[in-house]
Amino acid sequence: MTIDQFLLMKNEILLIAIAVIVLIIDLMTDNKKILFPVMIILFIFTTVIGFIYQTDGELFGGMYRSTPLINMMKNILNTGVLIILLQSAGWLINKAENHENIGGFCFILISSLAGMCFMISSGDFLMFYLGLELATIPIAALVAYEKMKFLSAEAGTKFILSAVLSSGILLYGISILYGTNGSILFKDLNNSVEITNLQALAFIFILSGIAFKISLVPFHLWTADVYEGAPVNITSFLSSISKAASVFILLILLFTVFINFSEIWNELLVYLSILTMTIGNLFAIRQQNLKRFLAFSSIAQAGFIPLGFIGGTSLGASTVLYFLLIYVFSNLGAFGVVSVVTSATGKESMNDYNGFYKTNRGLSIVMMLSLFSLAGIPPVAGFFSKFFLFTIAAKQGYYFLLFIAVINATISLYYYLLVVKAMFINENEQPIEKITSDVYAKLGLAICVLGIVFTGLFGIIFDYINTLSKGI
Amino acid sequence: MIDSYIPIFIIFVFAVGFGIVMVKFSSLFGPSRPNKEKLSTYESGIDPVGTAHERFSIKFYMVAVLFILFDIEVVFLYPWAAAFLNFEPVKMVYSFISVIVFIIILLVGYLYVIKKGALKWD
Repeated sequence: MTIDQFLLMKNEILLIAIAVIVLIIDLMTDNKKILFPVMIILFIFTTVIGFIYQTDGELFGGMYRSTPLINMMKNILNTGVLIILLQSAGWLINKAENHENIGGFCFILISSLAGMCFMISSGDFLMFYLGLELATIPIAALVAYEKMKFLSAEAGTKFILSAVLSSGILLYGISILYGTNGSILFKDLNNSVEITNLQALAFIFILSGIAFKISLVPFHLWTADVYEGAPVNITSFLSSISKAASVFILLILLFTVFINFSEIWNELLVYLSILTMTIGNLFAIRQQNLKRFLAFSSIAQAGFIPLGFIGGTSLGASTVLYFLLIYVFSNLGAFGVVSVVTSATGKESMNDYNGFYKTNRGLSIVMMLSLFSLAGIPPVAGFFSKFFLFTIAAKQGYYFLLFIAVINATISLYYYLLVVKAMFINENEQPIEKITSDVYAKLGLAICVLGIVFTGLFGIIFDYINTLSKGI
Repeated sequence: MIDSYIPIFIIFVFAVGFGIVMVKFSSLFGPSRPNKEKLSTYESGIDPVGTAHERFSIKFYMVAVLFILFDIEVVFLYPWAAAFLNFEPVKMVYSFISVIVFIIILLVGYLYVIKKGALKWD
């Protein structure tokens, strides 16, 4: 064990260091506003280091591993959390009742991110479970953060109960897997896992435990209530970062440990995908609350992800990564606008956005780009990611799934355009007044717009991810 | 495959049967002379007051959770302390530094708890 090997964990170590520094500053000063810029600078530093310094290797006898692909996944998560921190500045700093909680909020958010990083780079089911819990328990605290609001407290309770249930199912699966193979190291399981009834049961338990976190139908029932009750920034965290982290670990598990089970999970994921897309879309059409609408749209978006898993190819893995990269940008863009509007006026309903373009040109254009990207309209990045996913399914010959996916993409176009129509075409006597957002929110939205516009135009980004995913 | 579970099934049946038989037999053959004191709720000899479904102050939970947290810290330190003298010198330094980092993180947490007033009772 040397210093070099500790550097493999640089991302996690830096994140934990930032979290502790935030706590120390929170203890020392009474003016909590100082804390925020310091933390943002430290966090930008961590994110940049993640892109520059690549690591490859394993630690603790294979319990922790790091590859260039895992690094890329962590970079996506870091960037997403950076955007969320920037967007939550308005909510934290402008509201006097939140001043006391700035330190706590940032600490909990960053420790949840550290848990996700540990989870992704685990080489062992024990490490995976610890990381998962470190990621989940802080989120429950964040969901119930506005503790005086009834909805927020209710959402927190619902979240922790469903998280406990899913962890229980997951642990049951892991214990069966340990009982049948005598090891929980991914390396050992790689060779010894085979299709027997008991191990298939274990696999299905583990898959459903993770599907809870990704909120694939039929494991989605907690999603809408929790997303509606939580503060907007936490909703965006849940629907993009938490979801992306769970998809990443599912990708790693399916492609390494359970690669022998591919005939089982190919079939399962086809059904999960069809159900998730269709039900997410059908519910999203009816929503009037914009937060709830984005929650169901994120369920529908999660339904497209399994298309990339089909066949278990490395091209599929890079397509999933690419889809999530763009999904994080576009989802956070849409949530960012909602967050700015909510913290300024408290309005969440879709009718409030009528005539939004007349008063807030910049914000409505960002919203339009994000929704176009989520819907998959050609010039923006969302089109390319969805198109690549469709080609993966087509290459494996799953034409029925492809047919359903294309129909669902068309349905989703309808409700995304409904919001765009409300902003640009509908008339309103009293539109939302001109909002001047703060520097942080502007920076966050600018990163989102850059991501949405340029990730699709430059093929080099996809090629880069594709070279990484060879060594999954 | 099912065959190998038969012993477990037998143990299961035996355990349930044993419990039922013991309780039933003692109530059938044992002497039964109830009086008012015997039939009342057991509260270590004190007359029961009120129902058990009362609301507790959140302070109890705070103290309990914090106790568990710092108790586990000690649990982690014991095996390290027991194994410390058997390490080679290089490993000693490494493990010492790691434990110091661990304790510093917990110390920051402890100060945070005090500053936020989680241990204040009034």
